[in-house]
Amino acid sequence: MKQLLLTAALATALHITPAVVLVKRPDAVQALLPGADVYLAREVHLSNLDAHRLHQVVDWSPEDGVLTLYTGKAGATAVGALEFVRVDTPHGPIEVAVGFTPQGTVRGVIVTKATVEMKPWVLEAVAAGLTNHYRELKPGEAPGGAAALAGHTGHLAEYIAGEVDKGVARALAAYGTFYKTART
Amino acid sequence: MLYDLGRADLRIKWLVTCLLATLGISYVFGALMVSLYAGFTPGRVAATYAGRAMSMPMPPETTMVMEHPMSMEEFMKPEVHEVDTDLLIQDTHVHVPMYGVIAAALSLVVVGLSLSRAWALGLITLLFAAPWLDFAGMWLTKFASPHFAIVTLLGGWAMGAGYTVVATLAMKQMWFSQVKEGS
Repeated sequence: MKQLLLTAALATALHITPAVVLVKRPDAVQALLPGADVYLAREVHLSNLDAHRLHQVVDWSPEDGVLTLYTGKAGATAVGALEFVRVDTPHGPIEVAVGFTPQGTVRGVIVTKATVEMKPWVLEAVAAGLTNHYRELKPGEAPGGAAALAGHTGHLAEYIAGEVDKGVARALAAYGTFYKTART
Repeated sequence: MLYDLGRADLRIKWLVTCLLATLGISYVFGALMVSLYAGFTPGRVAATYAGRAMSMPMPPETTMVMEHPMSMEEFMKPEVHEVDTDLLIQDTHVHVPMYGVIAAALSLVVVGLSLSRAWALGLITLLFAAPWLDFAGMWLTKFASPHFAIVTLLGGWAMGAGYTVVATLAMKQMWFSQVKEGS
């Protein structure tokens, strides 16, 4: 009976709460590709070798080996690129939208999805200015959102900042390696 | 038999009723959550678990890029909630133990009902087989064929059916039968 109760308590404790949309994707697109009126979805189907390279750099492989980057243009002028990256945590997945300028630096970062449990942690981290720390990062640089928040927020906000850092690092690696170099 | 819900003490009957009501509420919201994230048709379940592997199972020899225009309306479309292998491992890890505990709790109710041994064994098997089918269907849909989505649907319906049968029989025997309490 003790074993049964322990299993039940453990299963309840580990149960992942439902996902919630914090910012709708169209709103994230408009915020990170401002002024764009034409959008393209660029699906990069990674070879085994490239998937392995990416995994070595950021300890991550995209779902089914496909990276999707969205580019935006205003008329003929490039506005930038955008990526939605999912980070799986023990508390469930979060989704981070990372926008790039045409010069290849981070324009902005928005946490678009979390779970019911993680939502307040994300909101606290964002209110403490988490996403400001990613602006103008370039591929090859390491995001330091969690380090910047250390001591200024609660532990859970700091923890979630570390997960957002992972998402930004993945987007930087994917953009830096595959945005312009992949063959069409 | 000593353990007979039809003749049980009022406190036991109330405990079982509360348990069944609580599980019933969780089943209703479970069904609502399934409708939000996976759906009730084989096509939607296959899209959730088989994902893009259905259309491009092997990585290309060299990295390739496919580009297509996107309208803002396409960004607004409800996304298909795709469950990849990592998430399915996590889902299986967290759900299966809880399903086991729920099946065990409902089986304990079954044991206390006035049923033939064959019916009781059948119901207990159904209660445990339903989650097995549910998750077996998800894994088979991902790695064998999208057609196995039907197995997940069968598992889900079997879970609902098992609960409904047990709850109905328990309510009938505990509260609406003529057997006197403790007699």
